[in-house]
Amino acid sequence: MTEALDVMKWPLLACLLLPGLLVYLGLHIVRREIIFVDLALAQVAALGTCLAILLHFEPLTWQSYAFSLGFTLVGAAIFTLTRTQKHHVPQEALIGIVYVVAAALGILLLSGSPEGNEELRRTLIGDVLLVSPHQVGRTFALYVAVAVVHFIFRKKFLALSFEAEKAEARGLSVRWWDFLFYALFGWVVTSFVQIGGVLLVFSYLIVPAVCANFLASQLRWLLLIGWLTATISSMVGLFASYRLDLPTGAAIVCALGAALILTIIAAKLRDKMKKT
Amino acid sequence: MKLFPKILASLLGALLVSSAEAKLNVVATTWDFGAIAQEIGGDKINLAVLGKPTEDPHFVDAKPSYIVKLNRADALIEGGAELEVGWLPPLLEGARNTKLDVGKPGRILCSEGVHLLEVPSALDRSQGDIHAAGNPHFMSDPMNGKIAAEHIANAFCQLDPTSCDYFKANLKKFDDDLDAKMAEWQKMLAPYQGKQVVSYHNYWIYFAQRFGLPMDLYLEPKPGIPPTPAHLAEVITKMKAENIKVIVVQPYQNRKTAETVAGHTGAAVVDFPSFPSGSGETKTYLDWIDFLVKSVVKGFEEKKS
Repeated sequence: MTEALDVMKWPLLACLLLPGLLVYLGLHIVRREIIFVDLALAQVAALGTCLAILLHFEPLTWQSYAFSLGFTLVGAAIFTLTRTQKHHVPQEALIGIVYVVAAALGILLLSGSPEGNEELRRTLIGDVLLVSPHQVGRTFALYVAVAVVHFIFRKKFLALSFEAEKAEARGLSVRWWDFLFYALFGWVVTSFVQIGGVLLVFSYLIVPAVCANFLASQLRWLLLIGWLTATISSMVGLFASYRLDLPTGAAIVCALGAALILTIIAAKLRDKMKKT
Repeated sequence: MKLFPKILASLLGALLVSSAEAKLNVVATTWDFGAIAQEIGGDKINLAVLGKPTEDPHFVDAKPSYIVKLNRADALIEGGAELEVGWLPPLLEGARNTKLDVGKPGRILCSEGVHLLEVPSALDRSQGDIHAAGNPHFMSDPMNGKIAAEHIANAFCQLDPTSCDYFKANLKKFDDDLDAKMAEWQKMLAPYQGKQVVSYHNYWIYFAQRFGLPMDLYLEPKPGIPPTPAHLAEVITKMKAENIKVIVVQPYQNRKTAETVAGHTGAAVVDFPSFPSGSGETKTYLDWIDFLVKSVVKGFEEKKS
């Protein structure tokens, strides 16, 4: 057991500390019905990295980080401007388009640079098993900062996600707060993609939030159930990865998937009990 | 009654300790080094190889057991020259095994003393996926296999002096077998000297140089960049003009691309495994080189007419 802890210490810390914020943001995302916005923003950020590589900046330097952050802000601006409420085109469609076009642009840019290919692979798959203490620390610091911003302005952010029309009616500057939301969200997602890859970040955002929505409706309970789901699934996934020697990220994603199935069964049973 | 389990436990414990002491735990990054280590170490080592024989050695997907294996290893055999640069350092960081520190006898660097080809005069990303230290795929030249075997035997001797004679004897056998085979291979390939062979990635230059087969026409426009239509058209034209009839493909490369080009040029597509596989037809290092030589000869034969 000590050896397991030795090997899995940093992945475990990463998977216990970091999803806290992801689960909370996931509740926003699920409520806004923009499930794939994280993939799109991650892809836009990766496009920034591609461009940085093309301009001969080494990957994982501050310049390439600045590029990916800059692109994330552009993506945030795009999603802010396309938040349409009474329109025939659902925002999800635009998000999908941003995702595929960013991916295709990345391929075009990278056709001239092999180094970028490795970088793109890294962003897609990530490797939570090989996360460095430095990465965990840096990302955790960022997440605490973002969480503080979200806590201070929680009324505005929650109003926007959970009762958008009322918020607008109250005269809240929807565009500005939306932009801030997407910008912070993009930053959070991009940082975690560096550690765990796109699959894992998507799962941490969406699965716990969906599980919680099956069982509860009050924010307090949603958060609690979401965090529990993320924590237990992380531990089960990491343990299975160690014992059965499976790729770590994929094992956690599957554990989260199993958690969702269990939650659905539990919710169905509860409904039946209520009826009888 | 309590005595029996105790005795059993101590017996088991003694067995575990003695076998752990007797055998060196050896980890190799790829199967070419692994296969040679097995021949030198025989039953005096426990061998673990991290990359799969069919995997691209530049990208090995990490699993928890790799860290455990590195943590318990007495020796690590690597190619160096940036072959494993993308995945080995973080694994080693996780394993925290001081026996494998650079410069310790447990860290066996096979590219040491190998004359690396294609060392770039200037590092320029626009030239593709190039390596500052030179082309790291040097094991396809059997003479470099000999260098690796010598490094491995020397390191094993340092780590387990009591078995040194055994290792040296195995090394001698390996070298003798290789020399005998070498003459055979050169004879087999003699009729095809100077004949161009197309490959997918710039992987086989050491093999090409040793056996006198130019292999500097690639399906990739630049190393690591997927084939583009314009480049493939160029390759096809060149193959037709110079009557080039053999394309070699490695397991993790896109065979379809090679088959398309072969369809246009009437060439043979030959499977070129990147490594010995530890079992089957390409079990040992010599089996592997033998397989490569025979495959390429077969390719030439098939398209002779």
